[in-house]
Amino acid sequence: MAFEPMNNGCLSENLGDSSPKLESLSAVEEEDGLSPSLFVFVSKPQKETVFTERVSKRFPLFSVLILGLIGFGCLFAELLMNHDPAFLDLSHTGEAPGKEFYFGTDFLGRDIYSMIWAGGRTSLLIGFLAAAISAVIALLYGGISGWAPWWLDRVMMRFADLLLSIPSILLVIFLGGIFSASTPVTLALMIGFTGWVSMAKLVRTQVLQLKKSEYLLAARSMGAGFFYLLRRHLLPNLLPSVLFMMVTNIGTAVASEATLSFLGIGLPAESVSWGAMLSQADRALLTNSWWMIIIPGLFLTAVLLSVMGISNYLRKEEIQKCSNFTK
Amino acid sequence: MEQVLKWGKRLGKKILELTIWLFLLSLMVFYMARLAPGDPLRAYYGDGVERMSTAQQLQAEEKLGLNRPIYVQYGLWLRGALSGNFGISFQYKQDCTAVIGSLWQNTALLGGLSYLLTFLLALLIGCFCAMREDSLWDKLLGKLSMVLSAIPSFWIALLLILLFSVNLGLLPSGGAYDPGGGGGWLDRLVHLILPLTVLVLGHVWYYAYLIRCRLQEEMRKDYVIFALSKGLSGKAVLYRHCLRGSLPYLISLMALSVPHILGGTYIVEKVFSYPGLGTLCFESAKYHDYNLLMVLTLLTAFFVIVCHMAAQAISQRLDPRMKGGKGFGFRTYE
Repeated sequence: MAFEPMNNGCLSENLGDSSPKLESLSAVEEEDGLSPSLFVFVSKPQKETVFTERVSKRFPLFSVLILGLIGFGCLFAELLMNHDPAFLDLSHTGEAPGKEFYFGTDFLGRDIYSMIWAGGRTSLLIGFLAAAISAVIALLYGGISGWAPWWLDRVMMRFADLLLSIPSILLVIFLGGIFSASTPVTLALMIGFTGWVSMAKLVRTQVLQLKKSEYLLAARSMGAGFFYLLRRHLLPNLLPSVLFMMVTNIGTAVASEATLSFLGIGLPAESVSWGAMLSQADRALLTNSWWMIIIPGLFLTAVLLSVMGISNYLRKEEIQKCSNFTK
Repeated sequence: MEQVLKWGKRLGKKILELTIWLFLLSLMVFYMARLAPGDPLRAYYGDGVERMSTAQQLQAEEKLGLNRPIYVQYGLWLRGALSGNFGISFQYKQDCTAVIGSLWQNTALLGGLSYLLTFLLALLIGCFCAMREDSLWDKLLGKLSMVLSAIPSFWIALLLILLFSVNLGLLPSGGAYDPGGGGGWLDRLVHLILPLTVLVLGHVWYYAYLIRCRLQEEMRKDYVIFALSKGLSGKAVLYRHCLRGSLPYLISLMALSVPHILGGTYIVEKVFSYPGLGTLCFESAKYHDYNLLMVLTLLTAFFVIVCHMAAQAISQRLDPRMKGGKGFGFRTYE
């Protein structure tokens, strides 16, 4: 599941893309004339009907707060830590949470409380880096594909489909097997290189729409080049949806890091990150040391949930900005 | 007769597309695997590589065909693959087909069951929520689905193992059957409970949510008002008309979910050390067993593409409006 959220975000786009004859998911037709409130079955008055739109109307204060707290904690980890997260204290291995070690210690004798903050830094860094990498690739790929002549566009989109047809976990395993990622940067590269496809498709769809607009035609007729147009006209228009996808991708990348490290093809167990902390889970299960599993997982889940809340809010914003009807 | 010809032509086209896809995919995967760092010799000989002299290493490379240019290697591989010989797994020293042949049923069982259960439940929940739009249940399930779909499945799996097998001792924590038990179907079922729960819990909410939204969209169409004014009950309209109307959508959703659920299955297999293709994937990635990894990747992609094509064909059959798309593959763009 850890690989789903990103795809979750985009599945609707894919669906919309895959079958243009089906109405797209989020666009709900407004009925006119007939008043459906006469009928018990459709008793609710017509309003925005898509669930997330309604739920995420409010500013996600709680999510921002939690993410901010954890983010600041990780950024200023030195102030919070009371032990060295990398120090192997062999006289205190596998200790339960207590006075000296707030969250207990792991099997190598490291303090979990300190590792949470130091490891969160790595995990979040990987998340941001991977999301940025995939955003850049997606913008370039989607932009070029939308702009290119139809045959190149078709070839490029076929290639994207090719990548989408492989489960993303398999792709990452494959890259992981090949490049044996051992540093946060290589892992971020790996995750970034596998996560751009659905975003690129979204960018392409939007570029295709923008391509028809008159002001682009005007700019082109005045001799504007592709990169000028990309910078001046396309990027500002694409930004809202790209931002939404990027936030979603941050969550996915953090989850991917955790999954990969947990499965033993991400960061090695000696390094400090949330995923690497969970990679000792097998042994923790044998000795019933719940704190090694539950505590890092809770932090991970808190981050993922707040990222999701924020991205839902951004999606709402994006819909508002794109449509001229609702204010 | 004409009909048969038409169908034959369509089928031939699909098969051609499939072949091209698989060819390109295998080419890509092969190049990536061979250009990468990491030593396949080590996978084959283990730590024995370090004790070998340079001459021996060269000899070994020649024996495994690793010293030729990559395109020659690919040509050889392709020739072998066409006659059903996908090379030997460096790690198991066995034919790849033999290694996979003994494990694929396990994955098929787990993946297939979770797929069916996921969609059955998603359909039920979707209908349930669509009937009760904006009610407390609807909102509650919506929130729950958001929370549960954000949590990484491996962590859910760990929590379930911690609760049910470590602390309560009710269910086994891994494997496909008891090593000593002989493997009756009841034993297998008991071992399947936890992985299935994780998979269904992780996926069902999202699909239920999509189905719910789609049903609501359908419920706002004019024919529903007509049916209601005719005197049909809301339930009857939902089950007989709206569900049928959204069937093409459901089918393309089911096809698009195949790679997701399959990917989820692979992860869950690894967490529960369930002997299947997923576990095999991780092992072969870890030990640079390229031949096996390639076959696994191709097999997975083949399955996914076939599912997409089948879904497209079924959708077209159900809804003739879908037929306009130009020949290729499972997605149409224009």
